[in-house]
Amino acid sequence: MKLEIVDLHASVEGKEILKGVNLTIGQGETHALMGPNGSGKSTLAYTLMGHPKYQVTSGKVLIDGESITGLAPDKRVRKGLFLAFQYPVSVQGVSMFSFLRAAYNNSRPAGSEPPTIFEFREVVADKLKMLSMDESFLNRYLNEGFSGGEKKRAEILQMALMEPKFAVLDETDSGLDIDALRIVAEGINKVSGPQTGALLITHYQRILKYVKPQFVHVMYQGRIIESGGEDLSRLLEEKGYTWIKGYQEEQAPVQAP
Amino acid sequence: MSQAAISFGEDLVRALSRSLGEPGWLTSSRLDALKYFTDLPPETNPLYTKYASTFGFPVDQFRMTAAKSAVDFRSFFSGFLTGKESDIILQGNETQVHSELREELASKGVELMSFHDALDKEEAKVRDLVERRNVKSSGDRFAAFVNAFFNGGVFVRVPRGVALDKPLRRMLLLDSPRTPVVEQNFVIAEEESRLVFLEELYSKGESVPSLVASNLELVAKPGSHVDFSSIQLLDGQSTHISNRAVDIHSDARATVSSLSLGAAVSRSRMNFLLNGRGSLAEGFEIFFTDAKQRYDFETNLIHNSPDSTGSTQARGVLKGESQSIFKGMIKIVRAAKNSRSYLAHHAMLLERTAKSDAVPSLEIDTNEVRATHSASVAQIDDEQLFYLMARGLPLDESKKMVVLGFFEPVLSRVPIEQTREGARFMIEGKWHGEKRRLVDRETLLAETGEITPEVKESEDIFERHYKYR
Ligand SMILES: Nc1ncnc2c1ncn2[C@@H]1O[C@H](COP(=O)(O)OP(=O)(O)O)[C@@H](O)[C@H]1O
Ligand SMILES: [Mg+2]
Repeated sequence: MKLEIVDLHASVEGKEILKGVNLTIGQGETHALMGPNGSGKSTLAYTLMGHPKYQVTSGKVLIDGESITGLAPDKRVRKGLFLAFQYPVSVQGVSMFSFLRAAYNNSRPAGSEPPTIFEFREVVADKLKMLSMDESFLNRYLNEGFSGGEKKRAEILQMALMEPKFAVLDETDSGLDIDALRIVAEGINKVSGPQTGALLITHYQRILKYVKPQFVHVMYQGRIIESGGEDLSRLLEEKGYTWIKGYQEEQAPVQAP
Repeated sequence: MSQAAISFGEDLVRALSRSLGEPGWLTSSRLDALKYFTDLPPETNPLYTKYASTFGFPVDQFRMTAAKSAVDFRSFFSGFLTGKESDIILQGNETQVHSELREELASKGVELMSFHDALDKEEAKVRDLVERRNVKSSGDRFAAFVNAFFNGGVFVRVPRGVALDKPLRRMLLLDSPRTPVVEQNFVIAEEESRLVFLEELYSKGESVPSLVASNLELVAKPGSHVDFSSIQLLDGQSTHISNRAVDIHSDARATVSSLSLGAAVSRSRMNFLLNGRGSLAEGFEIFFTDAKQRYDFETNLIHNSPDSTGSTQARGVLKGESQSIFKGMIKIVRAAKNSRSYLAHHAMLLERTAKSDAVPSLEIDTNEVRATHSASVAQIDDEQLFYLMARGLPLDESKKMVVLGFFEPVLSRVPIEQTREGARFMIEGKWHGEKRRLVDRETLLAETGEITPEVKESEDIFERHYKYR
């Protein structure tokens, strides 16, 4: 089972952002995707999930060999895809509880009997405990007035409930203090078992202390320009992103002015 | 008695008054109102005239008869009642049909009857109330219309110190009425009394073009507490017009919660008159329109006394080619020191073809007050929809969740539990194209399987708006 991204080109409002991304994520694998701000990491995440603003102009995204590029986001969820948002959206008036319940029911295999309100309370209580979250969370409006850390935890809570096959985590580590980072990272480790493939998008190396990727990719200007093992992330941390820019110029023959 | 339907003029006024067996003073009062109906333009406030054409109310196209149709209430209301109702007054079309009041309430002096029964029973008192009406013919052509041509109405009174344990209810049901339903309603809470009143307006399926026009005089005497709710789910052929005045005396509290879902066009005027020191008014205006529905709301908070608190919160969602306008004014007179007032209107549009306007204004003659308004109109948020879809909810379900959530900040503050829960149930029904009615908790549980726990934000609207000043 794998998630394959093949020569993916995508635009926003007519402007090409992804310029041929290739990446394959197998079951049980954790990949880190790093790169400077504005390099297109979130664009890749949104494009994978099917945000209507992001147009795929060429290339393919396949889950188990089946193309998902024509599918609405909810259908992609059914195929086992999950996205933890860099900036989770808040929705006034929608309680966390009813939202989580809807997410849970809509990510179950078709035809399975949804749990009763009481059964669901138990399911969600377990996951809350795992993420050191208080039950009072459930009685708040969806992400409304949540701190940065609460939002990120809530994203992992959703992942825990939806049990995706492939999870894209977009800067789930940003804006967290060290304790919150540890809790969230542990959560990710517990939720993504041998059945899950994960794409961990991050700007910094620090989360990689807790969540160990087998593969590290560097994105720059809409392409993955380098892939390697964990040592690549250390190299990146040491040398900084300016190194990437130099690296990029080395690879491309300099045009005469 | 004339059986023929005739147009709105003096002949009709006289025929109506005669057929209802009214005393001469009431006939004269109707004739006074008729002058205003004839002379006033549909919109008298220059702030609002530019909207008047979109929301023209074609009362003149209707014809009225002074004759009453007979209705067998059991068969007429079958399917609309559970049989568990008590303390309810039922009306089919323009005809008063049935009133039920538990003996223990009747013996305490609680009154729940038709306007004309009250007139027969206690003419002097009713005359006094009519002469002091706050819905003035001189102020509005449609108020004048009702004052001239009413053919029914209810009269509700809770005596001094009596606290009702259950809501009093009235239900109006239309079924191809032969004549407009024009009502003069009174709801009176005497000193230190407690009253919850539920009003429901329904139609039996789609019927002939019909008109429901009503004036309401709601009086909260000193120290009383009234929670009034009104649900309007008339059919798509109906024109609905309502004029309400809420007269709130010292240390009294009155809340009015309105849910508007039905009718082709609806025009509602509400004046909260904060007439006593320490009086409190809260209005909740909730609406959900589709197709070509046109809603026109006007709500005014008029602070005439010190230490008064008023708020009106309107929230609506508009689909299709529907349109709404919300006009709201806070008026604080010089003597109303230390008052606070808040007016809000927020609308969500589901289609580019839907339209909503808000015209809020302030008129404040003293400095020692806090008054503010807030208004917004926005398309449903695509980012919210994408977020929900990324959690597996199909587009339609995502929209529904955002829409139902949009009402919550206001809906969750509606003080009557049955109205709150019923409104959620009915709004969701309208989303699915079903006509649902206000039901009791048991029926609600039986039909939905469960009642989702409520989220209560314990937010003080005044705090929220003044913190940042
Ligand atoms: N919705 C959008 N509208 C316009 N431009 C966008 C949008 N999303 C991303 N972009 C542009 O695409 C580029 C990549 O952004 P993004 O994918 O957010 O990068 P990253 O996540 O790597 O920081 C940036 O130049 C950004 O301005
Ligand atoms: Mg990003």
